[in-house]
Amino acid sequence: MYGWIWRHLPGNAWARALVSLVLVLAVVYVLFQYVFPWAEPLLPFNDVTVDNQ
Amino acid sequence: MHTDDRPAAPRRRGRLALAVSVLGELLITAGLVLGLFVVYSLWWTNVIADRRADRQGDKVRDQWAHAAPGPGALDTKDGIGFLHVPAMRNGEILVKKGASTDVLNDGVAGYYTDPVKATLPMTGKDGNFSLAAHRDGHGAKFHNIDKIEKGDPIVFETRDKWYVYKVYDILPQTSKFDVKVLSQVPKESGVAKPGHYITLTTCTPVYTSRYRYVVWGELVRVAEVDAKRTPPEELR
Repeated sequence: MYGWIWRHLPGNAWARALVSLVLVLAVVYVLFQYVFPWAEPLLPFNDVTVDNQ
Repeated sequence: MHTDDRPAAPRRRGRLALAVSVLGELLITAGLVLGLFVVYSLWWTNVIADRRADRQGDKVRDQWAHAAPGPGALDTKDGIGFLHVPAMRNGEILVKKGASTDVLNDGVAGYYTDPVKATLPMTGKDGNFSLAAHRDGHGAKFHNIDKIEKGDPIVFETRDKWYVYKVYDILPQTSKFDVKVLSQVPKESGVAKPGHYITLTTCTPVYTSRYRYVVWGELVRVAEVDAKRTPPEELR
């Protein structure tokens, strides 16, 4: 999978490394900004109140 | 193909080998994503929450500074005051209305409106000022709740007054359904008569939400805030 992506990136090894880095950062951004905030309330790690539910 | 770090793989690999390699990469990716989720939960949410709490806290202090003296101290939209617990060593905690996730995620402590409504100290009525805050992530304002011992002070600061409470009982572990701890007279803490109580709740053990940790205090004295907002001796 990652090999396939690497082979399909343009340019020489440096350009590919740079593009890869940007892609990785983009993925991390999407995870932190959208995916994790969405997933967090669905997981039972951070309920602090006492309630009837 | 250009030069690659690895020796060139045979052009025609078996389908099974390909499937296994893709699966392996997916599993590694899943591991990394879970690792990142831990980083997000325990670090990034604190960064965001502290930033928001600071901004909201500044706004409240601004309003206090500019508002005319007299009534109006119960303006509760942005926050009703600040909680100081020297034993937790984390400075001041903004207190806002409601103990829902939305409120608490801003790095504040929230007073309960449900299932038992908190009695605010400013009303002067007998009752229980019940609060909740996160143990980990989102500011982790009650992270060090286990450092509080009996006899420690809890100070609640409003625009005009310092409400000084003294911790008299701690329940290190209880069920999350144990709403009785929020009662106006919290009998579980051994008291029987109405009074001015404060209750702090959060989750325990750390990093999980299996049980709830509860700390009870009772009002000792109320001090007027002076012009320089000199903290009461308990905070010095």
